[in-house]
Amino acid sequence: MGRLPTVRTDAVRGHLDGLLLAALEAGPLHGYAIIATVQERSDGALELRKGTIYPALNRLERLGLLRSTWQAEGERRRRCYELTDAGRRALADERTAWREFTSAIGSVLDPALREAT
Amino acid sequence: MSAGPIEAHVAELSAALHGPARLKSRMLEELRGGLADAAADLSPEPDTDASADAARRAVAEFGTVAELAPAFQRELTLAQARQTALTMAVLLPLLIAGRHWAGSSGAAPPLLHLTAVNATALAAATALLATVFLALTGTLGRRFPAPGGLPLAVAWTGTTAAAAVGVGALTLTAAAVLSANWPLAAATALLALASHARIAATARACRHCARLPRADAFTL
Repeated sequence: MGRLPTVRTDAVRGHLDGLLLAALEAGPLHGYAIIATVQERSDGALELRKGTIYPALNRLERLGLLRSTWQAEGERRRRCYELTDAGRRALADERTAWREFTSAIGSVLDPALREAT
Repeated sequence: MSAGPIEAHVAELSAALHGPARLKSRMLEELRGGLADAAADLSPEPDTDASADAARRAVAEFGTVAELAPAFQRELTLAQARQTALTMAVLLPLLIAGRHWAGSSGAAPPLLHLTAVNATALAAATALLATVFLALTGTLGRRFPAPGGLPLAVAWTGTTAAAAVGVGALTLTAAAVLSANWPLAAATALLALASHARIAATARACRHCARLPRADAFTL
């Protein structure tokens, strides 16, 4: 598959919570694996300022949407994050809001698509 | 792999950040690990010129200190505000209860009694505010994002509480001399003095953090 055009940082702003929660839906991951998951799923199209993921994860944990623990890996240790029940509910809400948003914008930008459905 | 560029970058960022040491250390350790992972992905062979270049590229991809510091500082400032609010929420009710058990200052001269009552009322009001601040910066923050001025509001509430506790400590000391239950009044006065120092210090740290530039919640 060809590389998608890059979606710049300011366009991604406001969706970061949903992206991080979605990356963790399948199971616990550490910070760099979360970055890799987001970039892999977007085929590298989402341009993240990678370093700011760490305070963003701390923010989601402070809000009770994630929990985290240190896990030893060789000589290093990694902070692994996982969704809480509240995090799963927040992810479902993000998905619903996103579908409604894209449906509304799509109806205006592409009326033919609306008539077809 | 050369750790030079990564360690230099983390050290520079560390120097730019202020706030609770534990959270700062944790976030920087995670960043350092992420940078090491990114550099290893870019150049799997350790201790080569290519690995040093990979470390520099990883640092560039993660963002400059100027780009990262506001996002890290936001969390540190909020953590400091929560620490200040928690200190007030724990210590102030203890002091109010201690004053209650130590007995009324009604037998004291009217001015001393009035000052003690007002200091206690002010301490109670700031304890209540501290609880609201804790809720707003915790799980309640999902529905009501913390306003930008909240850390400064916590800092000044803490400063007010420290002043009220300081005045309370003085009135308790005076009351201890006059009170029949002087050992408890004296113990409460000592607790009030220690609490005054603790709350004043954390409120000062919170004022310092609140003045530093920080990002809004959704900045990447």
